Amino acid sequence: MHAVEISFLTKSFRTVLREPGLKGSLRAVFSPRYLNVEAVKDISLNLEEGEILAFIGPNGAGKSTTIKILTGILFPSGGEAKVLGLTPWKDRQKLAYHIGSVFGQKPQLWYHLPPIDTFNLFSKIYELDINAYRKSLNFLIDAFDIGSLITTPVRKLSLGQRMKCEIAASLLHKPRIIFLDEPTIGLDVVAKQQIRDTIRHLHDSEGTTVFLTSHDAGDIESLCKRVIIINHGQVLYDNRVSALKRRYLTKKAISVRFAEKIEGQFFMEGVEVLKMSEYGVKLQFQTDATPVEKVIEQLMQAHSVVDITVQDPPMEEIIRSIYEKPPEERKDESASEEAE
Amino acid sequence: MKRIRTLLQKYCAVAVINLHSSTAYTGEVAMRSIMITVILYVLVHLWKAAYSASGATAISGLTVRDTLWYLVLTETIILSKSAFSTRISEEVRDGSLAYTIMRPYNYILYHMSYSLGDSLVKLLMNFAAGALVVLLLEGPPQHFTIVMIPFLLISVILALVLDFCFEGLIGLCAFILEDVSSLQLIYNKILFILGGMLIPLDFFPGWLAALSKALPFNLVLYGPARIFVRGEISAALTILFLQCLWITVMATILFLLYRKAVKYLSINGG
Repeated sequence: MHAVEISFLTKSFRTVLREPGLKGSLRAVFSPRYLNVEAVKDISLNLEEGEILAFIGPNGAGKSTTIKILTGILFPSGGEAKVLGLTPWKDRQKLAYHIGSVFGQKPQLWYHLPPIDTFNLFSKIYELDINAYRKSLNFLIDAFDIGSLITTPVRKLSLGQRMKCEIAASLLHKPRIIFLDEPTIGLDVVAKQQIRDTIRHLHDSEGTTVFLTSHDAGDIESLCKRVIIINHGQVLYDNRVSALKRRYLTKKAISVRFAEKIEGQFFMEGVEVLKMSEYGVKLQFQTDATPVEKVIEQLMQAHSVVDITVQDPPMEEIIRSIYEKPPEERKDESASEEAE
Repeated sequence: MKRIRTLLQKYCAVAVINLHSSTAYTGEVAMRSIMITVILYVLVHLWKAAYSASGATAISGLTVRDTLWYLVLTETIILSKSAFSTRISEEVRDGSLAYTIMRPYNYILYHMSYSLGDSLVKLLMNFAAGALVVLLLEGPPQHFTIVMIPFLLISVILALVLDFCFEGLIGLCAFILEDVSSLQLIYNKILFILGGMLIPLDFFPGWLAALSKALPFNLVLYGPARIFVRGEISAALTILFLQCLWITVMATILFLLYRKAVKYLSINGG
């Protein structure tokens, strides 16, 4: 059985079009004009049990809407979706016992009370057996290092501390699927890493399926094998993260340090100079036009090289280049990707 | 049987955590009690002046002391009731609805437990503070007996449940309208007048009293307050019966409407 099955899912919202100013507001009351926003159009995808999927796209691409449909909060306008064999918007309560969700920007802990009170409440709401609850709680306390935080009122916690507790609250009932909507937003490196480690641990030990949206390329690189990119409510790319890199990593950067000062301008055909100093230079080039070995060879011949580093561009840049391409071009690409 | 116990535990836990949360700030709880003492202090002088101006010792069967104890109860309920509609509206606006709506419980029952938990502490505090003012300035209630305590308690709880249903109907509009403060304002004004918060319904001209008593809003304030000041068991039973009847009607509408409203739901925050 697939953990998540979506076919031809669509969701459109109808909003009243408001023109600026008082006159516009009045017009919206008396003769409203409607704007149909298609947040999700024709998304189809399957997710196997135990998979970790990165579901990414620019703001307003339809990621959160899709998650909200899958968790049963929103009714779709068309199409089918099954999560663990259940239709989310019809069997919301039944499904709720088996899924967990984290919405990075939304609070679920009782603000005036310490997190442990909310945890205890959730153990009742999810009807957890007391021993299973204790075990799960202890695991999460260790994993997130929140032992000293859970007895402090939430309003006194920092954002990072609070987010760790928010995520722990969503994991107490050992969900089979977790939906994470930007779980690491606004967090420091250590907190981010703790969250990633815990998610990976849950996946490894319990076989938890993970459905992750994030704008943080680090989350995707360190957690996910498969990535789906959507924009304007449509799937642009669906493949392994490694394939994404292979396909789009056509650029490399090389940093070189020389033994002697270099005189004058540095020039090499097909290579762009990003930065230059007396003893060093940073270059960038397209690997399909200019192979790496050729660049290194030339460098070695011309100068006495002390150190050399070859770098991939950051994941962010790859994703950005996909977002920025016009839709027609991207369509061709995903077609050729499927053919591969 | 075990299933029912688990469910009861679930909703009780919601009420308890909220009771706990609403007492998190002792200062705020105390300030709220000061509010009712001020209101009642003003009302005591206002009504005393009104009674002495009219020259009557009783108006429609209520003495000035009856009227003041009546107001203790209506003010207590109005200041302790939970603003469920505002909370739904907030949940829609800040998007936390995404969490509250997808947990394994009934959303309406969850909020009902939440509201009752929130109201219970306030009820006790407000009643104690308000009763103290009238007790010191006017003396103890004249017709209330210990026998009436269970009737009064049940009636106050039912009043809160009925109010919750009205608030819920307003709150569900937030799924579509997002902001429901205007509707809530109207509802509160209805409670002030037709509910009998400011003036006991018995003082109204005949047609208005009849209208107010035919509408369910009086069962939120006037009903329990009347049980308190009149102390007649038969009248109390009628009020309890009417409360149950209207709760059944309003709750049915609320649950049906909820199922419809959920389909219209759109949640802020992309």
